[in-house]
Amino acid sequence: MDAATLGLVAPLLRWPSAFMLCFFPTNAINIAAVSVASIVTSLNPRQRSRPRRTPSLNCTCSSSRQAGRMPTAPLPQFSSSVKLKYVKLGYQYLVNNFLSLLLLPVMAAVSLELVHRGPGEMVELWESLRVDLIHVLCYLFAIVFVSTVYFMSRPRPVYLVDYACFKPPATCRVPFSTFMEHARLIYPNEKSVRFQMRILERSGLGEETCLPPANHYLPPKPTMEASRDEAQLVIFSAIDDLVRKTGLKPKDIDILIVNCSLFSPTPSLSAMIINKYKLRSNIRSFNLSGMGCSAGLISIDLARDLLQAHPSSKALVISTEIITPNFYPGNERAMLLPNCLFRMGAAAILLSNRRRDARRAKYRLVHVLRTHKGAEDRAYRCVYQEEDSEGNSGINLSKDLMSIAGDALKSNITTLGPLVLPMSEQLLFFLTLVVRKVINPKWKPYIPDFKQAFEHFCIHAGGRAVIDELQKNLDLSAEHVEASRMTLHRFGNTSSSSLWYELNYIESKGRMRRGDRLWQIAFGSGFKCNSAVWKCMRTVKTPVDGPWANCIHRYPVHIPEVVKL
Amino acid sequence: MGVEQEKSAVYGHMFSTVVPGDVTGEAVVHELADMDLVTKLHYLRAVYYFSQSEVVDGLAITDLKRPMFPWLNVLYPLAGRIRRAEAGRPFIKCNDCGLRIVEASCSKTLEEWLDAEDDPRWGSLVPEKILGPELPFSPLVYIQFTRFKCGGMAIGYSWSHVLGDAASATNCINLWGDFLNGNDPPTKPFQLSNMQNTAQDYAPQKAPASVKQVEIANDCWLFPNACKMATHSFKVTETELDKVQKGQKLQFELIAALFWLCLSRIQSGKELKLATICRHGTQAKCSDMLSNNIRTSTVKLDSSAASVGLFRLANLIVEQDMDELESVEQLVDRNSGKPDFLLYGANLTFVDMRGINLFGLELKGQKPVKVDLSIDGVGDEGAVLVLPCPQRSDVTVMVILPEDQIPKLRRVLDSEFGIA
Repeated sequence: MDAATLGLVAPLLRWPSAFMLCFFPTNAINIAAVSVASIVTSLNPRQRSRPRRTPSLNCTCSSSRQAGRMPTAPLPQFSSSVKLKYVKLGYQYLVNNFLSLLLLPVMAAVSLELVHRGPGEMVELWESLRVDLIHVLCYLFAIVFVSTVYFMSRPRPVYLVDYACFKPPATCRVPFSTFMEHARLIYPNEKSVRFQMRILERSGLGEETCLPPANHYLPPKPTMEASRDEAQLVIFSAIDDLVRKTGLKPKDIDILIVNCSLFSPTPSLSAMIINKYKLRSNIRSFNLSGMGCSAGLISIDLARDLLQAHPSSKALVISTEIITPNFYPGNERAMLLPNCLFRMGAAAILLSNRRRDARRAKYRLVHVLRTHKGAEDRAYRCVYQEEDSEGNSGINLSKDLMSIAGDALKSNITTLGPLVLPMSEQLLFFLTLVVRKVINPKWKPYIPDFKQAFEHFCIHAGGRAVIDELQKNLDLSAEHVEASRMTLHRFGNTSSSSLWYELNYIESKGRMRRGDRLWQIAFGSGFKCNSAVWKCMRTVKTPVDGPWANCIHRYPVHIPEVVKL
Repeated sequence: MGVEQEKSAVYGHMFSTVVPGDVTGEAVVHELADMDLVTKLHYLRAVYYFSQSEVVDGLAITDLKRPMFPWLNVLYPLAGRIRRAEAGRPFIKCNDCGLRIVEASCSKTLEEWLDAEDDPRWGSLVPEKILGPELPFSPLVYIQFTRFKCGGMAIGYSWSHVLGDAASATNCINLWGDFLNGNDPPTKPFQLSNMQNTAQDYAPQKAPASVKQVEIANDCWLFPNACKMATHSFKVTETELDKVQKGQKLQFELIAALFWLCLSRIQSGKELKLATICRHGTQAKCSDMLSNNIRTSTVKLDSSAASVGLFRLANLIVEQDMDELESVEQLVDRNSGKPDFLLYGANLTFVDMRGINLFGLELKGQKPVKVDLSIDGVGDEGAVLVLPCPQRSDVTVMVILPEDQIPKLRRVLDSEFGIA
C-alpha cells in the first residue's frame, strides 16, 4: 500500500471527515488528496527541495547552505511574472470562499423565482403541503433533537487563560568566557574543551543564558538537594507570577500536570507543588518524566483530554527541565552537547474549560497532534541517556538527529495539513498530485504553504540546526523564526518551556492580534514530534513584566554564524 | 604552630565564580598604564576578621554573592582577564569571566586563631594565587569566605596589583560592602579609564633606581625569591611613637627610618644604602579611581644606615623625595611594556599606606575586629608597609622579609624601642 493510498484512507476514517463527507463531498476528496504523502517525497532532505519564492527579510540563517533556490509555481512558464502574484491571490480568494461565492447566485435565483411567482402563489404552495400541528411539532422535535445531539457531542473548548515564564536572575548568568574557563578547569582532556568551545561558538546562544547555582561550582555539585532547590526556585517563581497575573486561587486547581524529563524524585515534583501551595486533597495530579523536550505539548494534550472528561475545571500545567543533576563530566563528544546548550527555565500555564473564562482567556486550543517514531530503532536511539565507558551518565545525541527530526516533522505535518490548510492549498496540492501521478511524473511536487494557515510559529529552540532545518523545510521567513532564534540567544535551550518563552517574545513585540493562529512545534527524545495549534482570542497587550520585559528593546539582534571567543 | 598545621585547620574548600550581572559588551578593553605594568608581579593580600554575631552568621553564601553582581557591573575590569596586544603589551579584556570565590571552614574558633602565633596565620585564609602561567585564564581577584568554629568569619581578598594600588583595592571591597548593606550605588562612577601622559612627552630620563628589570619565565607573574619570605606585623601605639618622635611630626618618615636602622643592624653583611619610598599620589580616602597612583622615590645613603642617626635618616627621607614617575614611564614605554619589572623589594621598600580606608568594609553595620594587609611577590630586599589602625593615632607596620631576619628584627625592636 503506497503512501498516497494510505493517506486517502486514513483521513476518511476520522469521524469529523465522515460527518463533513455527507455535506461537503468535494472537501473529502481534497482531504484525501492532501495525503501530504507527497510532502514526504518533497521534503525529503536528500532531495533538493523547491521552496516557493517568498520575500525573505534579513535571513540570519545559514543561507549559504541553500544554494540555487528556485521558485515553484503550478505553471512554471509564468514563474517570473509579477502578475502571477495577483493570479494566485485571486485563486486563493476564489477557492477559500467557494461556498459563500456559490451561495450568491443560488440566493439570486431563489429571490428571482419568488418575485416571479408572487406572494399569492407562495401561500397556495404552503397550503398544498397540508401541514398541521402534529407535523409541525414533529419537525420541531426533530430539529431540536438533532441540534442537541450536535451541541452535546462537540468537544469542550479548552482555553489558555494565561501563562508565566520563569525569569532567571542575573546571579545565575554564565558568560561564554566563564563557561570556557570552567571547562578548562573541569575537563583534563584538551579535546573535550576544544570541542565544547566550537559548539558554543556556533550554538546561537548569547551571553545572558543562565545555569543553576550548583553548576557555578568547580566542579559542579549535582546533589539531590541542589536539584530540589533549583526545582523550587524555577517552578515556584513561575507559579507565583501566574497567580499574580490571573488571580488564581490554589483551591481552584482541579488538575495539576508537571513535566520534567531528567529529574524525577520521590515524592514527585507535583507533590512538591501540592505541598507548597496547599492544593486540594482531591486534585488530579500527574508527573510526566522521561518524555524529552516535547513533553510540554504532551502535558497540554493530557490536560485537554482531562478537561473533556471533567466539566468546569481548571488545569495547571508546569513545563520545566532541571539542569543540576545532568552535568556530564566525561569525554564522550556526543554527550557533551547538552552541557553547552541546556539552560534553566520553567513555564506555568493555566488552562480552563469554563465558559466564563472564555472572556479573559488569551488563546483557545484548536489541535494537538502527536507523532511518535519510536517504532523505528534509529529514531528510538537518537537521543539516548546512557553511561559512557568511564561510568559517567549523559545524554547521547546521535549524528542523524536532524534527518530523524525531518522524518518526524513530515509525519506530523502530514496529519496536520488537512486540518489547518485552506482549501486553496489543498486543492493545488491535489491537482499537482494528480498531474504527477497521471500525466507527467517529472512535474515538480507542490509544498503547501503553511504560512497561509498560521500567523505565528513557535519552533522549539532545540539548537540552531533545528531552527535552520525547519525554516528551510517549511519555507519560513526570518521574521517567522525570529521568536525561536531570539529565545535561543537569550535563554538557551530551556527544553519543554522554550515554546512559552517564544510565545512571550511574540507578545512582547506586540505582534499577537485577535484571530491570529499560532503553531507550536516541539521535538523530543523517543523520537517524537508534537505540535499544537492555538487561536488568539483577544489582542494581547504588551506585557510589562515577564522574562523579556527588560531586554525586549534590544531584540532582535544579529546572531553571527560563529562567535569569536 | 607550623604552617602545615595552620593550613590543615582550614578545610572544605569549594570554588565558584561570580560574574557581572549585565553584559559588559563586546571587545571592551581596560588599558594598563605604565605604572600598572611596573607592579604586575605583586599581589595584595588582605584578610578581614569579623567576630561572631547573629548578623555575620546569618549571612549565607548567597547573601554574600548577590551584591557582587551589581558591584561588578560598576567594576567590570575586575572580572576581566589579561591578554597581550600584538606588540606584547598586556591589557585587560573585559570579557565578564569573573572573580573566583572560595568557601572554607576552619576547625578553630576566631579567638584561638587570632591568639595564635603570628606569621603564616593569614596565609590559609586568602588564596595565594598568581597570574599565569595561563594568563588568559587567571582570575585577577579572589575572595575567600572562611567560617570559624562557633561563629565568626574571615574574608580573604587577593588582588592583583596590576589592577590598582592598595587604595583602589580597599575602595573596591568597601564598595562591595556598600552594595551588601543596601546603600545607594555611588553617584560618581569609578574612573576606570587609565591612560596617563605618554612618556614620549618627557625629556629623556635616567633609569629609576626604585624599579628593577627582572626575567620571568613562562608568563608566570611571580618573582622567584632566592630565600623564603615571611611576614610579621607590629603595632606601634601612640605612646611608643611619642617616645620615638620626641615632639617631631614626621610619623611615617621616622617609622621608616627606625626600621631601616634596625634592619641594617641585623644585616651585618650588607650595607643597606638604598631604599625606595612609595607614597600614594592622591588623597587615598576620596579616591574613586581604579589605578596605580604611586609616587616612588629613592633614598641613597653614602654610608650604612646604621651609622646615620635616626633623625638624620628621617630628614634624608623627607629631602630626597623626588618623584620618579616620568622615568618609570619612560622605562616601561621604551620597551613597549613587554619586560617584567619589580617594584617592591627591588630595594628595601617603605610604603606609606596610612591614607587608605582599610577599615571601611562593613557587613550590615558590623566592622571587622582586625584587618591584615600584605603584599605577595616582594623581592629579596623586603618591604615595610605602614598601615592605619582603627585608633587614628596608632599605626600597624607589616614587614615582608626573608624568614631568618624576622626573629632578629623582633628582638632588636623590642629591646631598643619596646615595639612588639
